[in-house]
Amino acid sequence: MLEIFEYEFMQRAFLAGMIIATLASISGTFVVLRRYSMISETLAHSALVGVAVGLVAGFNPLWMAVIIAILSAWLIEYLRYSFSLYSDAVLAIFLSGSLAIAVIIVSLGGAFNNSLFSYLFGSILAVSDADLITIFIFGIVCLSVLLIFAKEFYFIAYDEEVAKTSGIRVRLLSFLLVTIVAIIIALSIRVVGSLLIGALMVIPTVSALQYRQGFAKTLFISLFFAIFSVASGMTLSFYMSLPSGATIVLSILVIFIISLVANKR
Amino acid sequence: MKFSLPIFDVKNLYFIVDDQEILRNVSFEIFAQDYIAIIGPNGGGKTTLIRILLGLEKETKGEVRIFGKKIKDFKEWHKIGYVPQRASHVDASFPATTQDVVKMGRTSKRKLFSKESQEDKLRVEDAMRKMDVYHLKDKMIGTLSGGQRQRVMCARALASRPEILILDEPNTGVDVSSQQRFYELLRELNKKEKITIVFITHDIGVIADDIARLFTINQKAVICNNPKEALSCEDMSDLYGIDAHLIHNHKHEH
Repeated sequence: MLEIFEYEFMQRAFLAGMIIATLASISGTFVVLRRYSMISETLAHSALVGVAVGLVAGFNPLWMAVIIAILSAWLIEYLRYSFSLYSDAVLAIFLSGSLAIAVIIVSLGGAFNNSLFSYLFGSILAVSDADLITIFIFGIVCLSVLLIFAKEFYFIAYDEEVAKTSGIRVRLLSFLLVTIVAIIIALSIRVVGSLLIGALMVIPTVSALQYRQGFAKTLFISLFFAIFSVASGMTLSFYMSLPSGATIVLSILVIFIISLVANKR
Repeated sequence: MKFSLPIFDVKNLYFIVDDQEILRNVSFEIFAQDYIAIIGPNGGGKTTLIRILLGLEKETKGEVRIFGKKIKDFKEWHKIGYVPQRASHVDASFPATTQDVVKMGRTSKRKLFSKESQEDKLRVEDAMRKMDVYHLKDKMIGTLSGGQRQRVMCARALASRPEILILDEPNTGVDVSSQQRFYELLRELNKKEKITIVFITHDIGVIADDIARLFTINQKAVICNNPKEALSCEDMSDLYGIDAHLIHNHKHEH
Protein backbone atom coordinates (compact mmCIF):
# COMPACT_ATOMS: atom_id res chain seq x y z
CA MET A 1 0.00 0.00 0.00
CA LEU A 2 1.08 3.54 -0.63
CA GLU A 3 2.70 5.20 2.32
CA ILE A 4 0.00 7.84 2.35
CA PHE A 5 -2.70 5.28 3.19
CA GLU A 6 -0.77 3.72 6.05
CA TYR A 7 -2.04 6.47 8.29
CA GLU A 8 -5.56 6.21 9.55
CA PHE A 9 -6.05 9.97 9.50
CA MET A 10 -5.22 9.97 5.79
CA GLN A 11 -7.75 7.24 5.09
CA ARG A 12 -10.38 9.28 6.92
CA ALA A 13 -9.38 12.45 5.14
CA PHE A 14 -9.47 10.74 1.73
CA LEU A 15 -12.89 9.26 2.34
CA ALA A 16 -14.25 12.58 3.56
CA GLY A 17 -12.58 14.31 0.62
CA MET A 18 -14.16 11.99 -1.96
CA ILE A 19 -17.63 12.49 -0.47
CA ILE A 20 -17.16 16.24 -0.43
CA ALA A 21 -15.80 16.35 -3.98
CA THR A 22 -18.87 14.46 -5.21
CA LEU A 23 -21.33 16.66 -3.35
CA ALA A 24 -19.59 19.94 -4.11
CA SER A 25 -19.29 19.33 -7.84
CA ILE A 26 -22.85 18.09 -8.38
CA SER A 27 -24.49 20.82 -6.30
CA GLY A 28 -21.99 23.29 -7.75
CA THR A 29 -23.20 22.53 -11.28
CA PHE A 30 -26.70 23.73 -10.46
CA VAL A 31 -25.43 26.71 -8.51
CA VAL A 32 -23.11 27.86 -11.30
CA LEU A 33 -25.76 27.39 -14.00
CA ARG A 34 -28.16 29.53 -11.97
CA ARG A 35 -25.53 32.28 -11.92
CA TYR A 36 -25.43 31.95 -8.20
CA SER A 37 -21.79 31.03 -7.64
CA MET A 38 -21.29 33.56 -4.87
CA ILE A 39 -23.78 31.78 -2.61
CA SER A 40 -21.17 29.13 -1.85
CA GLU A 41 -18.60 31.74 -0.82
CA THR A 42 -21.15 33.53 1.33
CA LEU A 43 -22.46 30.45 3.07
CA ALA A 44 -18.91 29.34 3.79
CA HIS A 45 -18.43 32.55 5.78
CA SER A 46 -21.74 32.01 7.56
CA ALA A 47 -20.62 28.50 8.44
CA LEU A 48 -17.62 30.10 10.07
CA VAL A 49 -19.95 31.84 12.52
CA GLY A 50 -21.16 28.38 13.48
CA VAL A 51 -17.59 27.20 13.93
CA ALA A 52 -16.83 30.23 16.10
CA VAL A 53 -19.87 29.59 18.29
CA GLY A 54 -18.91 25.94 18.53
CA LEU A 55 -15.28 26.65 19.48
CA VAL A 56 -16.17 29.29 22.06
CA ALA A 57 -19.24 27.65 23.59
CA GLY A 58 -17.88 24.12 23.43
CA PHE A 59 -20.44 22.66 21.00
CA ASN A 60 -19.46 20.50 18.04
CA PRO A 61 -18.23 23.14 15.52
CA LEU A 62 -19.26 21.01 12.52
CA TRP A 63 -22.85 20.71 13.68
CA MET A 64 -23.03 24.40 14.58
CA ALA A 65 -21.64 25.25 11.14
CA VAL A 66 -24.38 23.19 9.47
CA ILE A 67 -27.10 24.90 11.52
CA ILE A 68 -25.88 28.47 11.02
CA ALA A 69 -25.21 27.92 7.30
CA ILE A 70 -28.76 26.62 6.76
CA LEU A 71 -30.26 29.52 8.69
CA SER A 72 -28.34 32.09 6.65
CA ALA A 73 -29.23 30.33 3.41
CA TRP A 74 -32.91 30.62 4.28
CA LEU A 75 -32.56 34.24 5.36
CA ILE A 76 -30.75 35.11 2.12
CA GLU A 77 -33.45 33.46 0.00
CA TYR A 78 -36.18 35.13 2.03
CA LEU A 79 -34.59 38.56 1.55
CA ARG A 80 -34.13 37.99 -2.16
CA TYR A 81 -37.75 37.04 -2.71
CA SER A 82 -39.47 39.33 -0.26
CA PHE A 83 -37.63 42.59 -0.75
CA SER A 84 -36.50 42.12 -4.33
CA LEU A 85 -32.99 43.13 -3.33
CA TYR A 86 -30.17 42.53 -5.76
CA SER A 87 -28.95 39.00 -5.21
CA ASP A 88 -25.28 39.84 -5.36
CA ALA A 89 -25.70 42.73 -2.92
CA VAL A 90 -27.45 40.46 -0.41
CA LEU A 91 -24.62 37.97 -0.75
CA ALA A 92 -21.97 40.64 -0.25
CA ILE A 93 -23.70 41.87 2.91
CA PHE A 94 -23.88 38.37 4.33
CA LEU A 95 -20.33 37.52 3.36
CA SER A 96 -18.62 40.34 5.20
CA GLY A 97 -21.27 40.48 7.92
CA SER A 98 -20.77 36.84 8.92
CA LEU A 99 -17.01 37.11 8.84
CA ALA A 100 -17.19 40.13 11.16
CA ILE A 101 -19.48 38.28 13.57
CA ALA A 102 -17.26 35.19 13.50
CA VAL A 103 -14.11 37.19 14.23
CA ILE A 104 -15.76 39.03 17.13
CA ILE A 105 -17.09 35.83 18.68
CA VAL A 106 -13.70 34.17 18.41
CA SER A 107 -11.86 37.22 19.80
CA LEU A 108 -14.22 37.58 22.74
CA GLY A 109 -13.97 33.88 23.47
CA GLY A 110 -10.20 33.92 23.20
CA ALA A 111 -10.22 31.11 20.64
CA PHE A 112 -7.94 32.75 18.06
CA ASN A 113 -5.60 29.86 17.56
CA ASN A 114 -4.51 27.02 15.34
CA SER A 115 -7.82 25.29 15.57
CA LEU A 116 -9.51 28.27 13.89
CA PHE A 117 -6.77 28.35 11.26
CA SER A 118 -7.60 24.78 10.28
CA TYR A 119 -11.23 25.76 9.72
CA LEU A 120 -10.19 28.61 7.46
CA PHE A 121 -7.86 26.66 5.20
CA GLY A 122 -8.68 23.03 5.80
CA SER A 123 -6.56 20.37 7.39
CA ILE A 124 -6.28 16.69 6.64
CA LEU A 125 -5.21 16.07 10.17
CA ALA A 126 -8.44 17.44 11.48
CA VAL A 127 -10.95 14.85 10.25
CA SER A 128 -12.04 12.73 13.21
CA ASP A 129 -14.07 9.52 13.14
CA ALA A 130 -17.09 11.47 14.34
CA ASP A 131 -16.59 14.03 11.55
CA LEU A 132 -16.39 11.27 8.97
CA ILE A 133 -19.64 9.74 10.18
CA THR A 134 -21.37 13.15 10.15
CA ILE A 135 -20.07 13.85 6.64
CA PHE A 136 -21.17 10.42 5.47
CA ILE A 137 -24.72 10.61 6.84
CA PHE A 138 -25.42 14.17 5.70
CA GLY A 139 -23.67 13.39 2.43
CA ILE A 140 -26.01 10.51 1.60
CA VAL A 141 -29.05 12.70 2.33
CA CYS A 142 -27.75 15.60 0.22
CA LEU A 143 -26.76 13.38 -2.68
CA SER A 144 -30.19 11.72 -2.71
CA VAL A 145 -31.97 15.06 -2.82
CA LEU A 146 -29.68 16.30 -5.60
CA LEU A 147 -30.27 13.21 -7.71
CA ILE A 148 -34.01 13.05 -7.09
CA PHE A 149 -34.54 16.66 -8.13
CA ALA A 150 -31.75 16.92 -10.69
CA LYS A 151 -34.14 17.41 -13.61
CA GLU A 152 -36.08 20.10 -11.80
CA PHE A 153 -32.90 21.93 -10.69
CA TYR A 154 -31.61 21.77 -14.25
CA PHE A 155 -34.84 23.12 -15.70
CA ILE A 156 -34.93 25.97 -13.16
CA ALA A 157 -31.32 26.84 -13.97
CA TYR A 158 -32.18 26.92 -17.66
CA ASP A 159 -35.23 29.16 -17.37
CA GLU A 160 -36.85 29.87 -14.04
CA GLU A 161 -40.03 31.35 -15.48
CA VAL A 162 -40.70 28.63 -18.00
CA ALA A 163 -40.09 26.08 -15.25
CA LYS A 164 -42.66 27.89 -13.14
CA THR A 165 -45.23 27.88 -15.92
CA SER A 166 -44.64 24.14 -16.28
CA GLY A 167 -45.93 23.68 -12.76
CA ILE A 168 -42.54 23.24 -11.09
CA ARG A 169 -42.45 24.68 -7.58
CA VAL A 170 -39.52 26.95 -8.24
CA ARG A 171 -39.43 28.75 -4.90
CA LEU A 172 -39.65 25.62 -2.82
CA LEU A 173 -36.94 23.93 -4.87
CA SER A 174 -34.71 27.01 -4.66
CA PHE A 175 -34.95 26.85 -0.88
CA LEU A 176 -34.19 23.15 -1.04
CA LEU A 177 -31.12 23.71 -3.23
CA VAL A 178 -29.62 26.42 -1.01
CA THR A 179 -30.30 24.26 2.04
CA ILE A 180 -28.38 21.40 0.47
CA VAL A 181 -25.59 23.75 -0.56
CA ALA A 182 -25.41 25.13 2.98
CA ILE A 183 -25.06 21.64 4.44
CA ILE A 184 -22.42 20.62 1.89
CA ILE A 185 -20.38 23.72 2.57
CA ALA A 186 -20.52 23.31 6.31
CA LEU A 187 -19.38 19.68 5.95
CA SER A 188 -16.54 20.70 3.67
CA ILE A 189 -14.83 23.23 5.87
CA ARG A 190 -12.97 20.53 7.80
CA VAL A 191 -11.16 19.35 4.71
CA VAL A 192 -11.13 22.35 2.38
CA GLY A 193 -11.60 25.23 4.79
CA SER A 194 -14.23 27.93 4.67
CA LEU A 195 -12.17 30.40 2.67
CA LEU A 196 -11.54 27.88 -0.09
CA ILE A 197 -14.63 25.69 -0.41
CA GLY A 198 -16.29 28.09 -2.87
CA ALA A 199 -13.59 27.18 -5.37
CA LEU A 200 -14.33 23.45 -5.14
CA MET A 201 -17.99 24.11 -5.85
CA VAL A 202 -17.52 26.48 -8.74
CA ILE A 203 -14.29 25.70 -10.59
CA PRO A 204 -14.92 22.02 -11.53
CA THR A 205 -18.17 23.03 -13.21
CA VAL A 206 -16.73 26.06 -14.92
CA SER A 207 -13.86 23.87 -16.19
CA ALA A 208 -16.34 21.21 -17.40
CA LEU A 209 -18.37 23.88 -19.21
CA GLN A 210 -15.34 24.64 -21.39
CA TYR A 211 -15.81 21.28 -23.12
CA ARG A 212 -19.26 22.33 -24.39
CA GLN A 213 -21.08 19.10 -23.75
CA GLY A 214 -24.67 18.29 -22.84
CA PHE A 215 -25.96 18.19 -19.28
CA ALA A 216 -25.09 14.61 -18.29
CA LYS A 217 -21.57 14.75 -19.69
CA THR A 218 -20.90 18.15 -18.12
CA LEU A 219 -22.00 16.78 -14.75
CA PHE A 220 -19.67 13.79 -15.06
CA ILE A 221 -16.69 15.83 -16.23
CA SER A 222 -17.19 18.20 -13.32
CA LEU A 223 -17.41 15.28 -10.89
CA PHE A 224 -14.25 13.74 -12.31
CA PHE A 225 -12.33 17.02 -12.02
CA ALA A 226 -13.45 17.52 -8.43
CA ILE A 227 -12.46 14.02 -7.36
CA PHE A 228 -9.16 14.20 -9.18
CA SER A 229 -8.25 17.56 -7.67
CA VAL A 230 -9.19 16.53 -4.14
CA ALA A 231 -7.10 13.35 -4.47
CA SER A 232 -4.08 15.11 -5.90
CA GLY A 233 -4.46 18.07 -3.55
CA MET A 234 -4.52 15.79 -0.51
CA THR A 235 -1.51 13.86 -1.70
CA LEU A 236 0.40 17.11 -2.15
CA SER A 237 -0.77 18.31 1.22
CA PHE A 238 0.49 15.10 2.83
CA TYR A 239 3.92 15.06 1.26
CA MET A 240 4.60 18.79 1.45
CA SER A 241 2.89 19.55 4.78
CA LEU A 242 0.68 22.22 3.27
CA PRO A 243 -2.92 23.07 4.22
CA SER A 244 -5.14 20.67 2.25
CA GLY A 245 -7.66 23.32 1.17
CA ALA A 246 -4.99 25.34 -0.59
CA THR A 247 -3.44 22.37 -2.40
CA ILE A 248 -6.87 21.16 -3.51
CA VAL A 249 -7.81 24.57 -4.89
CA LEU A 250 -4.45 24.86 -6.66
CA SER A 251 -5.00 21.45 -8.29
CA ILE A 252 -8.42 22.44 -9.55
CA LEU A 253 -7.04 25.76 -10.77
CA VAL A 254 -4.49 23.88 -12.88
CA ILE A 255 -7.31 21.79 -14.35
CA PHE A 256 -9.26 24.95 -15.07
CA ILE A 257 -6.39 26.59 -16.90
CA ILE A 258 -5.73 23.45 -18.96
CA SER A 259 -9.45 23.21 -19.82
CA LEU A 260 -9.55 26.84 -20.80
CA VAL A 261 -6.49 26.65 -23.03
CA ALA A 262 -7.39 23.28 -24.58
CA ASN A 263 -10.83 24.52 -25.61
CA LYS A 264 -9.88 27.96 -26.76
CA ARG A 265 -11.59 28.82 -30.01
CA MET B 1 -70.18 30.56 -31.38
CA LYS B 2 -68.73 27.69 -29.42
CA PHE B 3 -70.37 25.95 -26.51
CA SER B 4 -67.48 24.11 -24.92
CA LEU B 5 -65.78 25.43 -21.78
CA PRO B 6 -63.26 28.09 -22.77
CA ILE B 7 -59.59 27.38 -22.07
CA PHE B 8 -59.19 30.92 -20.78
CA ASP B 9 -62.05 32.99 -19.49
CA VAL B 10 -60.98 36.52 -18.60
CA LYS B 11 -63.50 38.93 -17.10
CA ASN B 12 -62.98 42.62 -16.31
CA LEU B 13 -59.26 42.21 -15.82
CA TYR B 14 -57.27 45.13 -14.45
CA PHE B 15 -53.54 45.28 -13.88
CA ILE B 16 -52.37 48.37 -12.06
CA VAL B 17 -48.78 49.21 -11.09
CA ASP B 18 -48.07 52.37 -9.12
CA ASP B 19 -51.49 53.84 -9.96
CA GLN B 20 -50.83 53.27 -13.64
CA GLU B 21 -53.30 51.11 -15.48
CA ILE B 22 -51.38 48.64 -17.61
CA LEU B 23 -54.56 46.73 -18.44
CA ARG B 24 -58.03 48.22 -18.09
CA ASN B 25 -61.22 46.19 -18.03
CA VAL B 26 -60.06 43.46 -20.39
CA SER B 27 -62.48 40.61 -21.07
CA PHE B 28 -62.23 37.75 -23.52
CA GLU B 29 -62.49 34.02 -23.93
CA ILE B 30 -60.08 31.67 -25.66
CA PHE B 31 -61.59 28.45 -26.94
CA ALA B 32 -60.08 25.14 -27.92
CA GLN B 33 -58.45 25.25 -31.36
CA ASP B 34 -58.43 29.03 -31.55
CA TYR B 35 -55.59 30.58 -33.52
CA ILE B 36 -55.06 34.01 -32.05
CA ALA B 37 -52.58 36.78 -32.70
CA ILE B 38 -52.11 39.49 -30.10
CA ILE B 39 -50.85 42.82 -31.39
CA GLY B 40 -50.46 46.24 -29.86
CA PRO B 41 -47.88 48.95 -29.31
CA ASN B 42 -44.86 48.39 -27.09
CA GLY B 43 -45.76 48.98 -23.46
CA GLY B 44 -49.41 48.37 -24.29
CA GLY B 45 -49.68 45.39 -21.95
CA LYS B 46 -49.46 42.40 -24.31
CA THR B 47 -46.73 40.62 -22.41
CA THR B 48 -48.33 41.50 -19.07
CA LEU B 49 -51.55 39.94 -20.28
CA ILE B 50 -49.99 36.62 -21.16
CA ARG B 51 -47.90 36.64 -17.99
CA ILE B 52 -51.17 36.89 -16.07
CA LEU B 53 -52.61 34.01 -18.09
CA LEU B 54 -49.54 31.95 -17.20
CA GLY B 55 -49.75 32.76 -13.50
CA LEU B 56 -46.47 34.72 -13.52
CA GLU B 57 -48.20 37.98 -12.54
CA LYS B 58 -51.24 38.44 -10.36
CA GLU B 59 -54.15 40.50 -11.61
CA THR B 60 -55.12 43.61 -9.62
CA LYS B 61 -58.83 43.16 -10.22
CA GLY B 62 -61.03 40.90 -12.24
CA GLU B 63 -61.15 37.19 -12.80
CA VAL B 64 -59.07 34.78 -14.83
CA ARG B 65 -60.16 31.18 -15.20
CA ILE B 66 -58.13 28.43 -16.86
CA PHE B 67 -60.11 25.38 -17.94
CA GLY B 68 -62.86 26.64 -15.63
CA LYS B 69 -60.57 26.94 -12.59
CA LYS B 70 -59.16 29.98 -10.84
CA ILE B 71 -55.42 30.34 -11.43
CA LYS B 72 -54.52 29.57 -7.82
CA ASP B 73 -56.48 26.31 -7.95
CA PHE B 74 -55.19 25.30 -11.36
CA LYS B 75 -52.69 22.46 -11.24
CA GLU B 76 -52.51 21.00 -14.73
CA TRP B 77 -49.85 23.34 -16.05
CA HIS B 78 -48.57 20.71 -18.47
CA LYS B 79 -51.68 21.49 -20.54
CA ILE B 80 -50.21 24.91 -21.26
CA GLY B 81 -47.04 25.32 -23.28
CA TYR B 82 -45.16 28.60 -23.03
CA VAL B 83 -42.45 29.91 -25.34
CA PRO B 84 -40.97 33.11 -23.89
CA GLN B 85 -39.78 36.11 -25.84
CA ARG B 86 -36.10 35.73 -25.11
CA ALA B 87 -36.15 32.10 -26.24
CA SER B 88 -33.95 32.69 -29.23
CA HIS B 89 -31.10 34.21 -27.26
CA VAL B 90 -30.01 31.46 -24.90
CA ASP B 91 -26.77 31.66 -22.99
CA ALA B 92 -24.35 30.15 -25.48
CA SER B 93 -22.37 28.20 -22.89
CA PHE B 94 -25.35 26.54 -21.20
CA PRO B 95 -24.61 22.81 -21.21
CA ALA B 96 -27.63 21.55 -23.11
CA THR B 97 -28.16 19.66 -26.32
CA THR B 98 -31.38 20.08 -28.27
CA GLN B 99 -32.54 16.85 -26.72
CA ASP B 100 -31.70 18.03 -23.18
CA VAL B 101 -33.87 21.10 -23.69
CA VAL B 102 -36.82 19.24 -25.19
CA LYS B 103 -36.67 16.69 -22.36
CA MET B 104 -37.27 19.51 -19.88
CA GLY B 105 -40.77 19.62 -21.29
CA ARG B 106 -41.42 16.25 -19.65
CA THR B 107 -40.26 17.36 -16.20
CA SER B 108 -43.62 18.63 -14.99
CA LYS B 109 -45.32 15.37 -15.91
CA ARG B 110 -42.94 13.06 -14.20
CA LYS B 111 -43.51 11.50 -10.82
CA LEU B 112 -40.90 11.73 -8.14
CA PHE B 113 -38.25 8.98 -8.31
CA SER B 114 -39.52 7.91 -11.73
CA LYS B 115 -37.03 7.34 -14.47
CA GLU B 116 -37.48 8.40 -18.04
CA SER B 117 -40.30 6.26 -19.39
CA GLN B 118 -40.84 4.91 -22.87
CA GLU B 119 -43.60 7.47 -23.26
CA ASP B 120 -41.24 10.31 -22.32
CA LYS B 121 -38.84 9.17 -25.02
CA LEU B 122 -41.56 8.95 -27.63
CA ARG B 123 -43.01 12.36 -26.76
CA VAL B 124 -39.63 14.02 -26.86
CA GLU B 125 -38.83 12.48 -30.22
CA ASP B 126 -42.27 13.28 -31.58
CA ALA B 127 -42.02 16.92 -30.46
CA MET B 128 -38.58 17.26 -32.09
CA ARG B 129 -39.88 15.81 -35.35
CA LYS B 130 -42.93 18.05 -35.38
CA MET B 131 -40.78 21.14 -35.02
CA ASP B 132 -38.25 19.75 -37.48
CA VAL B 133 -35.30 19.75 -35.09
CA TYR B 134 -34.81 15.99 -34.74
CA HIS B 135 -31.69 16.11 -36.89
CA LEU B 136 -30.24 18.60 -34.40
CA LYS B 137 -30.88 16.47 -31.34
CA ASP B 138 -27.26 16.09 -30.27
CA LYS B 139 -26.21 19.61 -31.19
CA MET B 140 -25.46 22.08 -28.44
CA ILE B 141 -28.21 24.63 -28.11
CA GLY B 142 -25.68 27.48 -28.15
CA THR B 143 -24.54 26.54 -31.65
CA LEU B 144 -27.99 26.71 -33.27
CA SER B 145 -29.33 29.64 -35.27
CA GLY B 146 -32.06 31.87 -33.84
CA GLY B 147 -34.73 30.16 -35.92
CA GLN B 148 -33.56 26.69 -34.91
CA ARG B 149 -33.50 27.61 -31.24
CA GLN B 150 -36.99 28.98 -31.52
CA ARG B 151 -38.22 25.68 -32.89
CA VAL B 152 -36.38 23.82 -30.11
CA MET B 153 -38.17 25.97 -27.51
CA CYS B 154 -41.46 25.13 -29.18
CA ALA B 155 -40.57 21.44 -29.19
CA ARG B 156 -39.86 21.69 -25.46
CA ALA B 157 -43.30 23.20 -24.91
CA LEU B 158 -44.89 20.53 -27.11
CA ALA B 159 -43.24 17.64 -25.27
CA SER B 160 -45.71 17.93 -22.39
CA ARG B 161 -48.51 17.55 -24.94
CA PRO B 162 -50.16 20.88 -24.21
CA GLU B 163 -53.63 21.78 -25.33
CA ILE B 164 -52.62 25.37 -25.80
CA LEU B 165 -49.37 26.98 -26.84
CA ILE B 166 -48.65 30.58 -25.81
CA LEU B 167 -45.79 32.35 -27.56
CA ASP B 168 -44.39 35.79 -26.80
CA GLU B 169 -42.99 37.34 -29.97
CA PRO B 170 -41.61 34.03 -31.14
CA ASN B 171 -39.72 35.53 -34.04
CA THR B 172 -37.65 38.24 -32.42
CA GLY B 173 -34.22 37.95 -33.97
CA VAL B 174 -35.20 35.33 -36.55
CA ASP B 175 -34.74 35.82 -40.29
CA VAL B 176 -37.79 36.21 -42.54
CA SER B 177 -37.73 32.85 -44.30
CA SER B 178 -37.46 31.03 -40.96
CA GLN B 179 -40.33 33.16 -39.68
CA GLN B 180 -42.62 32.05 -42.45
CA ARG B 181 -41.68 28.45 -41.96
CA PHE B 182 -42.27 28.81 -38.25
CA TYR B 183 -45.78 30.14 -38.74
CA GLU B 184 -46.53 27.31 -41.15
CA LEU B 185 -45.49 24.85 -38.45
CA LEU B 186 -47.70 26.63 -35.92
CA ARG B 187 -50.63 26.53 -38.30
CA GLU B 188 -50.09 22.83 -38.81
CA LEU B 189 -50.08 22.21 -35.08
CA ASN B 190 -53.32 24.13 -34.88
CA LYS B 191 -55.04 22.29 -37.70
CA LYS B 192 -53.64 18.78 -37.47
CA GLU B 193 -52.91 18.44 -33.78
CA LYS B 194 -55.85 20.59 -32.68
CA ILE B 195 -53.57 22.65 -30.43
CA THR B 196 -54.83 26.11 -29.54
CA ILE B 197 -52.31 28.77 -30.48
CA VAL B 198 -51.95 32.24 -28.98
CA PHE B 199 -49.02 34.43 -29.90
CA ILE B 200 -47.87 37.99 -29.54
CA THR B 201 -46.43 39.40 -32.72
CA HIS B 202 -45.21 42.50 -34.45
CA ASP B 203 -44.93 41.07 -37.92
CA ILE B 204 -48.59 41.16 -38.84
CA GLY B 205 -47.78 41.08 -42.51
CA VAL B 206 -46.50 37.52 -42.29
CA ILE B 207 -49.58 36.13 -40.63
CA ALA B 208 -52.44 38.43 -41.54
CA ASP B 209 -54.10 36.00 -43.92
CA ASP B 210 -53.95 33.14 -41.56
CA ILE B 211 -55.01 34.23 -38.12
CA ALA B 212 -58.47 33.32 -36.98
CA ARG B 213 -58.84 35.97 -34.29
CA LEU B 214 -56.92 39.12 -33.54
CA PHE B 215 -56.58 40.71 -30.10
CA THR B 216 -55.38 44.28 -30.06
CA ILE B 217 -54.07 45.30 -26.68
CA ASN B 218 -53.31 48.83 -25.60
CA GLN B 219 -54.48 49.03 -21.99
CA LYS B 220 -57.89 48.12 -23.30
CA ALA B 221 -58.47 45.15 -25.54
CA VAL B 222 -60.28 44.96 -28.80
CA ILE B 223 -61.19 41.48 -29.90
CA CYS B 224 -61.70 40.86 -33.59
CA ASN B 225 -63.23 37.53 -34.38
CA ASN B 226 -62.71 38.12 -38.04
CA PRO B 227 -59.41 39.89 -38.66
CA LYS B 228 -60.22 40.34 -42.29
CA GLU B 229 -62.55 43.05 -41.12
CA ALA B 230 -59.98 44.39 -38.71
CA LEU B 231 -60.56 47.96 -39.69
CA SER B 232 -64.24 47.80 -38.99
CA CYS B 233 -63.51 46.62 -35.50
CA GLU B 234 -64.52 49.44 -33.23
CA ASP B 235 -61.73 51.50 -31.71
CA MET B 236 -59.13 49.53 -33.59
CA SER B 237 -57.41 52.47 -35.12
CA ASP B 238 -57.65 54.41 -31.88
CA LEU B 239 -55.81 51.68 -30.12
CA TYR B 240 -53.27 50.81 -32.69
CA GLY B 241 -53.56 53.21 -35.56
CA ILE B 242 -50.48 52.52 -37.61
CA ASP B 243 -50.55 48.78 -37.53
CA ALA B 244 -54.24 48.62 -38.27
CA HIS B 245 -53.37 50.57 -41.34
CA LEU B 246 -50.71 48.02 -42.17
CA ILE B 247 -53.22 45.22 -42.04
CA HIS B 248 -55.50 47.19 -44.25
CA ASN B 249 -52.81 47.71 -46.88
CA HIS B 250 -51.73 44.14 -46.68
CA LYS B 251 -55.27 42.98 -47.44
CA HIS B 252 -55.42 45.05 -50.55
CA GLU B 253 -52.24 43.61 -51.94
CA HIS B 254 -53.87 40.23 -52.19
